Amino acid sequence: MSSIDRRYVLKMGVLTAASAATSAGGPWIARAQSKQLVVCSWGGAYQEAQRKTMFQPFEKETGIKIVEASPTDYGKLKAMVQSGNVEWDLVDVGDLNVVAGAKDNLLEPLDYQQIDTKGVFPQVVHKYGIGTIYYSTVLAFSTKKYPKGDHPKTWAQFWDVAKFPGPRTMRNNPLDNLEFALLADDVPMDKVYPLDVERAFRVMDRIKPHVNVWWTTGAQPAQLLADGEVELATSWNGRIFAIQKQGAKAGLEWNQGKLQWDSWVIPRGSKNRDGAMKFIAWSTQPKPQAAIANEIPYGPVNQKAFEFIGAQAARDMPTAPDNAKRQVMVDPVWWGEHRNVLVERWNAWLLK
Amino acid sequence: MRWASELLLVPALAWLGVFFVYPIGRLFYASLFTPAFSLDSYARLGRSPIYLTVFVNTFEISVTVMLIALLLGYPLAFLLATAGRRASGLMLVAIVLPLWTSVLVRTYAWMVLLGRRGLVNEGLQTLGLTDAPLPLLYNRLGVTIGMVHVLLPFMVLPIYSVMKGIDVDLLKAAQNLGANRRQAFLRVYVPLSLSGLATGCLVVFVSALGFFVTPALLGGRGDTMIAMLIDVQVSQLLDWGLGAALAVVLFAVTAAILFGVQRLTGAERLWVRVP
Repeated sequence: MSSIDRRYVLKMGVLTAASAATSAGGPWIARAQSKQLVVCSWGGAYQEAQRKTMFQPFEKETGIKIVEASPTDYGKLKAMVQSGNVEWDLVDVGDLNVVAGAKDNLLEPLDYQQIDTKGVFPQVVHKYGIGTIYYSTVLAFSTKKYPKGDHPKTWAQFWDVAKFPGPRTMRNNPLDNLEFALLADDVPMDKVYPLDVERAFRVMDRIKPHVNVWWTTGAQPAQLLADGEVELATSWNGRIFAIQKQGAKAGLEWNQGKLQWDSWVIPRGSKNRDGAMKFIAWSTQPKPQAAIANEIPYGPVNQKAFEFIGAQAARDMPTAPDNAKRQVMVDPVWWGEHRNVLVERWNAWLLK
Repeated sequence: MRWASELLLVPALAWLGVFFVYPIGRLFYASLFTPAFSLDSYARLGRSPIYLTVFVNTFEISVTVMLIALLLGYPLAFLLATAGRRASGLMLVAIVLPLWTSVLVRTYAWMVLLGRRGLVNEGLQTLGLTDAPLPLLYNRLGVTIGMVHVLLPFMVLPIYSVMKGIDVDLLKAAQNLGANRRQAFLRVYVPLSLSGLATGCLVVFVSALGFFVTPALLGGRGDTMIAMLIDVQVSQLLDWGLGAALAVVLFAVTAAILFGVQRLTGAERLWVRVP
């Protein structure tokens, strides 16, 4: 423990001991700890942006000290809740894990008396979680190979290996790919869910021999494009922006992307449920939402945030109106019900 | 007092008990009781052909890696054991140094070397030896190269430590008694180094079975290994019953293979240094 931390705990100890004199409080150290908020997120550039635009301003405004952890690990989250030793108060998870976590009874319900959801996109508001940011899985391409905007713009074209030859990478997961397969087979965007799984796998059969790498981590497709290892990819939008900033020759196509979001959840048995709830209520408001979106090109979950975002920056965000209307919105409830079975089927399909 | 020396084992046994036996026990428990007793997790392993395929993959890759590591490692260990002090010291550093680098970094280094636009392919094309990039990555070859690189020190070091103890004069004695150089090496030196060879093979094989990062990053769609499936079940799908069942089966099959090999090759002779 650094001297600053120690001083802080001592100071908080004195303060809470004073207040404990009037209430029947427990040991003061436990109360001092309950004042801090342990937040777990995904690390990297994303968590840096969260630190700068959310954690630090929130700490300054409320005096609630935020202790960071990373990366999010669902297995750890489950182990913490089941063993009763919950170290994280607030966790940034993918949209599917709100549904799954609620089903497994791992999460605290959110208190919507405290959280003002005005302006928040309704699909990210869930009893056990609320959106942090939107991101998209999109068609990404090498601008060295396609410099003049002549890249594939639909999944049907991505599938068209005669017209667009060249190495490809897709995610080693049924998520995203099954949606893209249906779109490639001319299923209209509003008819994608519930997924016609049989049809989707049949369409995947057609692209399988032409996919050189099946990626497992988000950094891979960006890296593969930057290295010239592949010319076409599916990728999370933020990763493409990140390598563009470093000068890599890569671009992305919003058309027929898949919009999804991350959520804040509170593990059941969190030691600072109130602080977590306060943070959620604070961070969902337009200004912090605009601040993080200005820092890193993910989409705000509060549409009023666009009032504070420059027109230029807004164009690069998944939820900018022009981008959002050309994309499919994930259905986490459908995936929550079918995911485990489909992952098994996917793995078998991949090995065949 | 005789039992006094056995007391020295207590700390090691306690450590093993807490950090090995107990967790393995929990794993067995989790595979059967999630939440109530059922054999469902094991039944599911039988229902889909994918688990058998992945087990076969895992053992194929592990055996291949072990054999290649042995082929490369044995001569290297011999060179190390017979070279002069300075040369062997330098070589030892070169062999051990990669152990301080993370597996992830070394795996990415292979991507730089073996990619379509990597050093090897560019080099071959510049020299006019190939017209198109060779598929060195994202297939079984890439996984094998990456894993052999990571595991080679674990083959070399046990063999080297045994070879260091072999009296080279025995080779001269054999030749003196009429053996040619090849016979002396094969019939005197190799048998004496067998215990190191067995240890090296064992360590490499068992470590390879649990590999996860290298096959995930350097492999193709047909190179799924069992640890990758366990990871998905445990940390993404939160199906701990199935994850635990996979781990238990891997544990049991590995134990059975080791036991079988030990019986076939003449029991403990392999594990104990022959004086």
